Amino acid sequence: MSEAVPRLARRLAVLLALVLACGQATAQAQTAQEILAASDRIRNPHEPFRLTSSLVEFVGGKPRGQSVLFVYAKEDPTTHRFRNLVRYVEPPRDAGKMALLDNHVLWFYDPASKASVRISPQQRLIGQASIGDILTVNLAADYTGTLAGTETIQDAARQDKLCWHLDMAAATDLATYFRVEYWVEQKTSFPIKAKFYSDSGRLLKILYYRGFSEQLGVIRPTEAVIIDAVDTALVTTLKFSDYKFQEIPEAWFQRDYLPRLRAD
Amino acid sequence: MARRGLPAALAVLLLALPAAAADENRDLDLIPEAAGQAPEAVSPDAAAQSRQRIFLENATTGWSVRNSFAVPPPGPPPPDWQERLFLDARIEHPLADGLGVTFSDRFNGMAESDVPFPSHGDVRNDFRESFLSWEPLTQNYLELGRINLKSGVASGYNPTDFFKTRAVVDRISQDPASLRENRLGTLMLLGQTIREGGSLSMAFAPALYRPSPLYPDVLPSFDPMFDRTNAHDRVLIKGSASLPFDLDPELLLYHEGTRTQLGGNLSRAVGQSTVLYAEWAGGEHASLIQEALTYGRQTGTLPTYAPSPLPGDPRASFQNEIAVGASYATENRITFNLEYHYHEAGFSGRDWRNWFAAGTANPNLLSVAGPLWFIRSYALDQQEPVGRHSAFLRADWVDAFIPQLELTGFVDVDLHDGSCLVQLTADYYLSNAWTVGAQANADLGGARSEFGSLPQAASLLLKLVRYF
Repeated sequence: MSEAVPRLARRLAVLLALVLACGQATAQAQTAQEILAASDRIRNPHEPFRLTSSLVEFVGGKPRGQSVLFVYAKEDPTTHRFRNLVRYVEPPRDAGKMALLDNHVLWFYDPASKASVRISPQQRLIGQASIGDILTVNLAADYTGTLAGTETIQDAARQDKLCWHLDMAAATDLATYFRVEYWVEQKTSFPIKAKFYSDSGRLLKILYYRGFSEQLGVIRPTEAVIIDAVDTALVTTLKFSDYKFQEIPEAWFQRDYLPRLRAD
Repeated sequence: MARRGLPAALAVLLLALPAAAADENRDLDLIPEAAGQAPEAVSPDAAAQSRQRIFLENATTGWSVRNSFAVPPPGPPPPDWQERLFLDARIEHPLADGLGVTFSDRFNGMAESDVPFPSHGDVRNDFRESFLSWEPLTQNYLELGRINLKSGVASGYNPTDFFKTRAVVDRISQDPASLRENRLGTLMLLGQTIREGGSLSMAFAPALYRPSPLYPDVLPSFDPMFDRTNAHDRVLIKGSASLPFDLDPELLLYHEGTRTQLGGNLSRAVGQSTVLYAEWAGGEHASLIQEALTYGRQTGTLPTYAPSPLPGDPRASFQNEIAVGASYATENRITFNLEYHYHEAGFSGRDWRNWFAAGTANPNLLSVAGPLWFIRSYALDQQEPVGRHSAFLRADWVDAFIPQLELTGFVDVDLHDGSCLVQLTADYYLSNAWTVGAQANADLGGARSEFGSLPQAASLLLKLVRYF
């Protein structure tokens, strides 16, 4: 018995090496960061753009309220992080509220009180703006990825997809999440699934990408399903529409511009 | 046994390798069937929807009133109950490219225990804002009309919010966040330029009326009350910049009548969960007691040559107002704000002792109790704290216990006597259109304390809101 364990370990190591080698042979051509970057390019245009996002929150399987947001996004040429301006359309009680999400500079504006309130990155996770932010984040800018292996997992339509499995750690304090697990389809670089963790190791959100269609010249995911891992009865579906390239001046990314952000 | 067990163990381990992917696929079981469909297409008039907020609210309030007082307040006792239905609208409407108009108003129908029904006191229109906005050059703006101009980064008290004075006409909620919503704008011309890295704003509000006495509890029905907002020439210059270290400072210069004040705002995020902020305003003026008595005499509420019921220095000196605090957000969607407020012109411990001594020495003498309570009413009208030192703690919990339930609570503590104002609010979002809520507040403290001496001890409000 005492001899069997080392022998088992040696045999297992050989077998594992063989199994992993199949995946790594292909991975040598692409590093984890390159896979991330390729997937980022699929998810978001490089040029400034705007879109409309519609969210439906499900509680216990039943739809409870819809939110609609206008999102303006622009990539910072230096940091390659996206900066967002968000204008609330629905629900009616939040209509006209706005948020500036620019790295650590986060402001929330309520036209009813005319008040601009500075919020923390953690508060960005409260409410729908957080979801818009998840989907325009450039993961390659904020996270350092390692290749955990190759896996065939099912996408949101329950179709098998051969994916890179990336394990990503926050590379800067600007990263919203401490750790992200990410699955990217090998053949297309399409993002398939992500899992977001807090610094305490708690799984916070599970995200599936779906609804791939051509938007602004590239086939992108236009829908997502987000499962609240803390309370799995909460599921949010999200649809992006009305993609448009739009000139977004740098001056827009400051607190005093928020009241001026028009809904055209 | 070891040799027989080895292949079996190896088989189990090998089977475990693809099991990882199988486990991943179990996450798909968490997606409800109804979520298989994409959300409905966005309404084509979504842009118009985002430019307006209209709601109808019914609010029923009951008050518990104190029976005994250290210093009896003059006038009739406050109401026991109130039933109110109001229509609230804020609408932005584009007129042409770069030109738009904004309108904000609340129309109230009320019944109250101390107001005859029907009477003029049963209806009231709060005309909050109406202004034209024009962008003649890119990111250069001119606005003209009744504008609610707000400044400040703090949550419980904003020393740099210079246009807050006399603007609040409705105190359904005592939450400072709510008080900012239903207040009157000021007739002004506002210019603003926004550049990369900063902005500059200038506002001029002309004096169109003479200062008017404080309003009684029952306000006029259809009076825009410009006398509250435009009794002095007022100028505000405000500049902000985006500096390194994400400090986002804002500097303000404000002039009203003969008084000039400086102000500043600073905020910075620290880590993922915390925001630190500080707000300061300073200028030369008299104490709250002297300012209130001067205003009362000027507007005819107090006799012109009546002596002050409280000792104090009538001379002006440099007075500081400070709000410094931090917000902290948890993973459980709770946001806390903790602040310290310093209002140098407010009551010191000695002022409070003098206030109660003067009032209790002559409890039934209106010529004493009247000015004493006028000072406190004046502070409320100016939206200034009465005391010099106070602490403020606010908590907001989104999806508290169950989804769609939001709990908000705050406590405002007078650090001199430990008395406090406490308010708890629960809002349950039944749907996108309907909200039901309850709100309770209480003035806690001894009879000879700031909040314990107020006539209203506690209140409970129930509300139903329909958004359109």
